[in-house]
Amino acid sequence: MLHRLSPQTIRILALLVVLLLVILFFSTQVPNYLSGRLFNRVSSSVAIMALIATAQTLVILTRNIDLSIGSVVGFVAFATGSLITDNPDLHWTLLVAFSITLGMFFGMINGFFVAVAKVPAIIVTLGTLALFRSVLVEFSDAKSIVTANLPTWLINFPNTPLLEIGTLQLRASFAVAVAVVLVVHIALSRIRIARKLYAVGSNPEAAEMAGINIGLTVFTAFVLSGALAGLAGFLFLARFGTITVVAGLGFELKSVAAAVVGGVNIFGGSGLVIGALIGAILVDLIDSSLVRWHLVSEFWREAVLGGLILLAVTMDTLVMRSLAVWRTARSNSKEDRRANVQSP
Amino acid sequence: MMQRTGSTTCLTFLQAAADMAPSDGIRLRFDSEAASIHGEADCSEGQDYRWRKETGMTCWGHTGQMYTPKSAQGAMQPRRWRNEMKILTTIWATLLVVLSTAVLASGHVKMLESGKDIDMVLLPKFLGILVFDQANEGAQEAHAELKNNGDLLFVGPTPENSVAGQIEIVTTAATQGQGVVMLSNNAGDQIVPAATAAMEAGTRVVTWDSPIPSGEGEDVFVAQVDFGSIGEVMAEMAHSLLDGNGQMAVLSATPDAANQNAWIASMQEALKDTKYADIELVDIVYGDDQAELSYNRALALVDQYPDLGVIMSPTTVGIQASAKAMQDEGLCDQVKVSGLGLPSEMVSYTLNGCAPEFALWDFRDLGYLTYYTAYGLASGQLTGEIGETFMAGRMGEFAIEEDPGRPGSRRILMGPFTVYNADNVEAAAK
Repeated sequence: MLHRLSPQTIRILALLVVLLLVILFFSTQVPNYLSGRLFNRVSSSVAIMALIATAQTLVILTRNIDLSIGSVVGFVAFATGSLITDNPDLHWTLLVAFSITLGMFFGMINGFFVAVAKVPAIIVTLGTLALFRSVLVEFSDAKSIVTANLPTWLINFPNTPLLEIGTLQLRASFAVAVAVVLVVHIALSRIRIARKLYAVGSNPEAAEMAGINIGLTVFTAFVLSGALAGLAGFLFLARFGTITVVAGLGFELKSVAAAVVGGVNIFGGSGLVIGALIGAILVDLIDSSLVRWHLVSEFWREAVLGGLILLAVTMDTLVMRSLAVWRTARSNSKEDRRANVQSP
Repeated sequence: MMQRTGSTTCLTFLQAAADMAPSDGIRLRFDSEAASIHGEADCSEGQDYRWRKETGMTCWGHTGQMYTPKSAQGAMQPRRWRNEMKILTTIWATLLVVLSTAVLASGHVKMLESGKDIDMVLLPKFLGILVFDQANEGAQEAHAELKNNGDLLFVGPTPENSVAGQIEIVTTAATQGQGVVMLSNNAGDQIVPAATAAMEAGTRVVTWDSPIPSGEGEDVFVAQVDFGSIGEVMAEMAHSLLDGNGQMAVLSATPDAANQNAWIASMQEALKDTKYADIELVDIVYGDDQAELSYNRALALVDQYPDLGVIMSPTTVGIQASAKAMQDEGLCDQVKVSGLGLPSEMVSYTLNGCAPEFALWDFRDLGYLTYYTAYGLASGQLTGEIGETFMAGRMGEFAIEEDPGRPGSRRILMGPFTVYNADNVEAAAK
């Protein structure tokens, strides 16, 4: 059975098992843990992170990284907020389009330096991380976007229940995030152009030989990632209402963590956005559960989370490696048998 | 709360209050029940007053400004002596004021000479936050008032680089030979080496908003309010929101934020009072001053403690994130949010009942007072010794004292702070 599944599928299954174990563990530790509320909490808070983890995955697949993603989310949230504050009657489609376009613009800046100027992505985005944030500080003029100035439809949007089963709600923000993840997942697995991201990441030389325009592919990855970050910025605004210059601070690390825990190879070329989604859920679940677990003091929360991420990645590597060894051995023995049969 | 029946005037109210010999901090509400109000004292209908041993009555809530009614002292006297005493008191008081002003002016209260040439740096925790810009406005006002020929620079790190950036700016300021750095410290004791080096190079270091925890490398800390009284106010707000009975939890900034930790400790101290015997502080969590984390923390608290009645958040980020979380989940009827917040960010939550009451001080005033202090020190007009008193322009007289929270360090206490509720939040938000 195990040998028929692709390593990626096994990884997803393993993640789901870990997710289940985490939930079971905390339900024995924390009173009132298992309830519809738990799902509502995690699903609403993971919506933004799922989009960002997906955006990060697109870039990581091409052997790059986007550290500026938190600054982009923050800037888009602020700019979108000030746009709707000044024009309260703006149609929602225009507002969403604005967020996405602005995100794409930042993606283009990153993409230009990485793909055209050939500067390593970690350097470029480390620079733009600070740069975009500084532009935001300048642009904001020390004002905050406040909930009172936002239209009601925007504030109510993220928590609108689309489906209710008891206390369990499927909320609009989570639905949007899952829809985006699914679309990206299908695109990455079915569409030829999107497969180029994997090709470029797994072996750039081979990809070039195969006639793939590496620069263009990397540029596209950054622009798409920017678009998703822009959408995440829109959701961020809708969810939190009050936006200051610290919005989205630290998202770069969380998004990388979610993607890596979700089985996306940090050296590019392999990984699924579904994995990144589950990774985001796992990180969020552990983080919010640790707050309620009194055995771990607040001071150790970050350390525990960091330890768990390390553990997850190490386990993943070890399991995948032994799986590969086991498979090679298995197929070798099969070939041996076949050879034995043919030889006499 | 004291209830009076029949015709109550402000005077009898104060009289009765004095007769009760109330303990410090007790709350009294003036209720005239349609009686005419005499002009002797500045009491207002429906307004809460708080008893202070040293000053008599101070106003509380409503307008929120702490003040002492003009004739509170006179009103304490037995009624039959009222008129005579009033005249006498007025005469004596006038004499005293005249005398003391003369004495103080000649001896103790230093008037700062304007027109010096001092380069100054105002360094917030990081740029882009409204309260720090308000502090800058206050400093600019003082800068113009004192006709300083030097420059006042408002420089700060970006949010993601706060700690390292602050250290760098302090170091640079010393190298440039700035006269004084006014620092809202976000780097804990990590700033000490840079601040000490700056002082050795002749640059004075005045902290405001958030001090250097150890007090090393700092001339004086300009405290917004007495850190102990913030605890009292938070306990008091929780008491009124819970009607004296229930569970509360604290949502703070980072676990190592010096000012928040001091305020929480002082609140825990205040909660020991028998008045708060039925209020249980169930948990303290940290939202790292980030909207998303604070929001999730607030919801985790509600899930963890089904009977929770109040979330107290002594940080402007935490309080609005908690209020938004309660509003989004429709929990505002069960769980009230309070703490320290900005009127402009809190106005909608105060009006819809999610956060009926919260407090804050005036950051413009804080910037203004910090500037006066820093200017005085850097121009050599102030030595920074304990007991030194000076005039800080429109804000009046201030004294340098030992910081009760940090023995061996010095502070200047600004105060008061304002309690905001549905009556005054809209005006303040503009």
